[in-house]
Amino acid sequence: MAFPHRPDAPELPDFSMLKRLARDQLIYLLEQLPGKKDLFIEADLMSPLDRIANVSILKQHEVDKLYKVENKPALSSSEHSMQVQSLCLSFLPSVLLQRIPVLVRAFGLCFLVRPRIRNMRYIANLVNADKVAGRTRKYKVIFSPQKFYACEMVLEEEGIYGDVSCDEWAFSLLPLDVDLLSMELPEFFRDYFLEGDQRWINTVAQALHLLSTLYGPFPNCYGIGRCAKMSYELWRQLEEEEDGETKGRRPEIGHIFLLDRDVDFVTALCSQVVYEGLVDDTFRIKCGSVDFGPEVTSSDKSLKVLLNAEDKVFSEIRNEHFSNVFGFLSQKARNLQAQYDRRRGMDIKQMKNFVSRELKGLKQEHRLLSLHIGACESIMKKKTKQDFQELIKTEHALLEGFNIREGTSYIEEHIDRQVSPIESLRLMCLLSITENGLIPKDYRSLKTQYLQSYGPEHLLTFSNLRRAGLLTEQAPGDTLTAVESKVSKLVTDKAAGKITDAFSSLAKRSNFRAISKKLNLIPRVDGEYDLKVPRDMAYVFSGAYVPLSCRIVELVLERRSWQGLDEVVRLLNCSECAFTDMAKEDKASSESLRLILVVFLGGCTFSEISALRFLGREKGYRFIFLTTAVTNSARLMEAMSEVKA
Amino acid sequence: MDCYTANWKPLGDSAFYRKYELYSMDWDLKEELRDCLVAAAPYGGPIALLRNPWRKEKAASLRPVLEIYSASGVPLASLLWKSGPVVSLGWSAEEELLCVQEDGAVLVYGLHGDFRRHFSMGNEVLQNRVLDARIFHTEFGSGVAILTGAHRFTLSANVGDLKLRRMSEVPGLQSAPSCWTTLCQDRVAHILLAVGPDLYLLDHATCSMVTPPGLAPGVSSFLQMAVSFTYRHLALFTDTGYIWMGTASLKEKLCEFNCNIRAPPKQMVWCTRPRSKEKAVVVAWERRLMVVGDAPESIQFVLDEDSYLVPELDGVRIFSRSTHEFLHEVPAASEEIFKIASMAPGALLLEAQKEYEKESQKADEYLREIQELGQLTQAVQQCIEAAGHEHRPDMQKSLLRAASFGKCFLDRFPPDSFVRMCQDLRVLNAVRDYHIGIPLTYSQYKQLTIQVLLDRLVLRRLYPLAIQICEYLRLPEVQGVSRILAHWACYKVQQKDVSDEDVARAINQKLGDTPGVSYSDIAARAYGCGRTELAIKLLEYEPRSGEQVPLLLKMKRSKLALNKAIESGDTDLVFTVLLHLKNELNRGDFFMTLRNQPMALSLYRQFCKHQELETLKDLYNQDDNHQELGSFHIRASYAAEERIEGRVAALQTAADAFYKAKNEFAAKATEDQMRLLRLQRRLEDELGGRFLDLSLHDTVTTLILGGHNKRAEQLARDFRIPDKRLWWLKLTALAELEDWEELEKFSKSKKSPIGYLPFVEICMKQHNKYEAKKYASRVGPEQKVKALLLVGDVAQAADVAIEHRNEAELSLVLSHCTGATDGATADKIQRARAQAQKK
Repeated sequence: MAFPHRPDAPELPDFSMLKRLARDQLIYLLEQLPGKKDLFIEADLMSPLDRIANVSILKQHEVDKLYKVENKPALSSSEHSMQVQSLCLSFLPSVLLQRIPVLVRAFGLCFLVRPRIRNMRYIANLVNADKVAGRTRKYKVIFSPQKFYACEMVLEEEGIYGDVSCDEWAFSLLPLDVDLLSMELPEFFRDYFLEGDQRWINTVAQALHLLSTLYGPFPNCYGIGRCAKMSYELWRQLEEEEDGETKGRRPEIGHIFLLDRDVDFVTALCSQVVYEGLVDDTFRIKCGSVDFGPEVTSSDKSLKVLLNAEDKVFSEIRNEHFSNVFGFLSQKARNLQAQYDRRRGMDIKQMKNFVSRELKGLKQEHRLLSLHIGACESIMKKKTKQDFQELIKTEHALLEGFNIREGTSYIEEHIDRQVSPIESLRLMCLLSITENGLIPKDYRSLKTQYLQSYGPEHLLTFSNLRRAGLLTEQAPGDTLTAVESKVSKLVTDKAAGKITDAFSSLAKRSNFRAISKKLNLIPRVDGEYDLKVPRDMAYVFSGAYVPLSCRIVELVLERRSWQGLDEVVRLLNCSECAFTDMAKEDKASSESLRLILVVFLGGCTFSEISALRFLGREKGYRFIFLTTAVTNSARLMEAMSEVKA
Repeated sequence: MDCYTANWKPLGDSAFYRKYELYSMDWDLKEELRDCLVAAAPYGGPIALLRNPWRKEKAASLRPVLEIYSASGVPLASLLWKSGPVVSLGWSAEEELLCVQEDGAVLVYGLHGDFRRHFSMGNEVLQNRVLDARIFHTEFGSGVAILTGAHRFTLSANVGDLKLRRMSEVPGLQSAPSCWTTLCQDRVAHILLAVGPDLYLLDHATCSMVTPPGLAPGVSSFLQMAVSFTYRHLALFTDTGYIWMGTASLKEKLCEFNCNIRAPPKQMVWCTRPRSKEKAVVVAWERRLMVVGDAPESIQFVLDEDSYLVPELDGVRIFSRSTHEFLHEVPAASEEIFKIASMAPGALLLEAQKEYEKESQKADEYLREIQELGQLTQAVQQCIEAAGHEHRPDMQKSLLRAASFGKCFLDRFPPDSFVRMCQDLRVLNAVRDYHIGIPLTYSQYKQLTIQVLLDRLVLRRLYPLAIQICEYLRLPEVQGVSRILAHWACYKVQQKDVSDEDVARAINQKLGDTPGVSYSDIAARAYGCGRTELAIKLLEYEPRSGEQVPLLLKMKRSKLALNKAIESGDTDLVFTVLLHLKNELNRGDFFMTLRNQPMALSLYRQFCKHQELETLKDLYNQDDNHQELGSFHIRASYAAEERIEGRVAALQTAADAFYKAKNEFAAKATEDQMRLLRLQRRLEDELGGRFLDLSLHDTVTTLILGGHNKRAEQLARDFRIPDKRLWWLKLTALAELEDWEELEKFSKSKKSPIGYLPFVEICMKQHNKYEAKKYASRVGPEQKVKALLLVGDVAQAADVAIEHRNEAELSLVLSHCTGATDGATADKIQRARAQAQKK
């Protein structure tokens, strides 16, 4: 079953302009360091860079060699470290120095990095090593997407501030797909929601400003969450400072919706069963492409595949529930075979036509088809091994709030059997959030079990999760409400509204059960939920649960405001905001009013994207997604994990 | 009409010169001009006089007075000169007065006599003294050139960006040159000097002797030289009374003239205009003024008093004790119209209009004459242009009236040139007013641009006029009114006699939210004048927090700055303030400040995590944040310490901190970890192999795999591993060892807390169907079907399911029935189902 868009669905704006802008700016920056130069790229920037400028473009602008900035202690997870080793192109500074003959050519060194302190130390080591060797070279540090004062300060402390020139590459929006823009800032989640660090909010505001100058203005704006509010305010400020540019333009995008990840952790913690989400959970989609290993490609090589709307096969199954995918693919295979079979009985002329016109497309489709079939098989194999059905059943029970004891003992067994540290953690968090915190006995015993199974260093992980409000303990009623009311008072106070106290989340209760009831998140189904012809967004979780984040978007869009949602907002314990500019709205065409930009601050999952795409088809909207990074439950948990260095 | 051209003097065949009065000066000069150092700025700029110069050897007790007047003689400033002897005065392009002292110091004053800054023309001058100095203007700005006592030249082409260049030496130069000037060619400043009969051109590297082409013989010395306003032309006056005029490149001669006066002239300046027909030089002696050009006769004027010449773009200003006049070549348009018996279209049009006013039919005749030649457009244009060059408003009016009259008979004459001229003249007449005293001509005004004119009005503190002009010309607010208001505000804050509140209020009232006004700039000015409180008040009006912070920091209001930075949401700004605070306050105060600012605190913590770990610890200590302190030590136990003792010590500190934080769970867990670490160490010592940093579970598993069952049991007891976990663990480990015997023993040791299905599963995972079947029989009834299916006994599973009459189990079994082998079973189930349904 393919998902055709409604005929009246609005056209998406062309986001390829963003790529061109980023590329031109990068080239301009590279040209600022004339002559041949070596380029050091931060690992996290490699894939995004690859999407907008390939090696030959870099070479054209006199980039000689490419190195990877390596930060040994920076690895966050075991999987990550494996990737780094396999990608390892980098050389240690000492090796590098030997490789470049002294006095032969004066190379410039260019560093393309995220604004992180450890990168500054890496650069400082290189520069200082040069100084010791008595070599002078030109150094340029390009920060993406912006530079932070703290970084410059470290350069100064290291005594090389005068030796390097600093620039900013405002590359904050990467179009991963026709309707998906990613800022590729996975650290946003941990920095903001765990450490209370607001640095990236400015980046978000800048990105929104860029979008509104290119595609704006946006007549309607809604937001929920403190980060959303701050981003919105900063963005407004930027707009006001440069007033007048977008004034006369007709809005292209009618609504913009800002949403904090901590408004809805539940959805992000669920196992994904929509194809694209499942591929992400299983193989990890990185920057819009995935590495299919030998078990998928059925050859001895891995294959990097770009997953987006251009992949004809993928675009038809990406939003499908996994149970439908296999059937679809085999149908597709039969069709393909039939098309091939037409060759028989063709005369020469027809054959010529066939070869010149259709064969290439068919072959391409064939290749993709076999890849996705391979991927499906691989997913099936992995999932049956882990008793996926049982897991899903437990998750659904947690979401619906029955058989909690059974769920808890399932999690316990999961931990005892050392199935997977990340999975165990995820289930614990899901239990905690849906139940508004674990009861003290479970809280202690599960944690003890976990530490025994996966190592004592996770004590720190638990402390992080507690701070972020992901894994908490049900406190005796009185004390909690006291703290809560105090905090909510603070929140309403305007001055305090700007403060993000990292500990305020301690008192934050998820109230999931009440919200779920209020918003009707658990659909009542008579009989079997038909996943082939879904009725609502719940299909992305096998009909068991409508993603909270998407439901909020749906309701606010229906009402065009937060009206009537006061109770929900109170339960969510977040501040909301809405803003409508009638003057701009009047100018907006009815078509653009059905185009909605949803901004996820802290990441969104493919399930949410699929759900909203579904909603769009139902209601004739078209959604555009802007996220700080595409995330899933594993990434969320990894961001919270403390792994010993 | 004829009386109008009465003051026109012809020079040669083509050009007329006229001299008219700009102002009658009523400055109350006590001394003669010749006793003063005089400097007058071009473009109708101010005049500076320094009386009582030192060269007169007067009584040393008398301090000289520096006076500044507007071009109309209105006094602007007067101050006692308290510094050293001054050699030369001059105005920069920004209308700052540069006073070059004998010791090489250059003092810079504002228009109102306010001291701005000073700089020096180099160390060499200190010993040799400055003999002479010139201030000159180039496209880069205003420059200073000096001649030292050692007969060397030093110059700086731009005093705003001081770069001294020492010019090369003239070989064998013994005495001071008789005259010299600065030239500007190819964007480089040169010096041209005359020594006896020789001319030398200097730049910083070379010195070359030059000869003007066509110079009359017999010259033994040059007395005076003059370079034109645009540096294009040069004039030389020799001791024979001969004047040579040519291009400044000394490649071409224009003309020469012999005036037969051998006395050195007081001043010699060029009098040209852009696109002028005639190039002429004005030479002034004590009582005589002569205009010479390419004509056998010169124009002569008698000077009644001491006069001073100021070269301008399009003429020469001449001022004395009583008058201020302007001498220039009559512009082409004016000449065409006013020349006696002129038949130019403009002249006819003017005449026609006059006749029309007299209600005479001649008006029609004139008009017809112009129209027949098809020259009406040209006539209107001429009149408009000529109006611009007229100084007297009545003449401007009559010319404009003529233009407007002519326009009526034209179909499509674009009105903007007329409108613009009216506007320009209105502005010009306003600034030429005696009280304002900026006698700009139309060409100068166009060259200067309205922006610069506004700047100059602001400089003279004529804010109301400037604003009126902006409004009249409808200049955009950002360039016009708000800029002027901002200047006004900057001036306002300097008024020390008004209270802070009043100034702030007055400024806010006037400025409001005018776009383009930066309150922080004004506040910076206020702070510059030492009015910190006022600056803070003004900053309150600044809408952009980002602009407030740097100034607040400068004023040492760091805490306020921190608040503003946090409000702005700009973390970089917050960080800037933090680092400031860190240096400014002692550690304790700094931490206290942070404590009240959670956003700043978390930012600083992030920084410390990467850069200053010790500070982070201090921060937690300060806050009595034992929970975080505990985490900190745990992290330290992984990061810093290699030795086991050190790690245990760090963990102990962590555990203590957790106790203080009343987090018993964490404390206990940490203590367990210490115990585990010590134990692992012992195990490594005793058994070999790797145990350190394994989790408890993995430690026990490793022990079992190594065959140390006793130890494993001990460990499980010590750490109180729950039964369920232990069973899972043992089961998995033994199966992995394929120690089926031990496994069976274990399974029979007591009733399994996890049931027997896991036994089946694990055995199957190790592909041991035989063992698996053993356990399948022991699986409890509710999981029996599953177990049987696992070992592949579909038939029996079916039997059990039928026995249970459990629909779910039945379908589960059915789904496992494959192919022909299980056909019978499948049938059986179907039958059972059918039966069940019947019932």
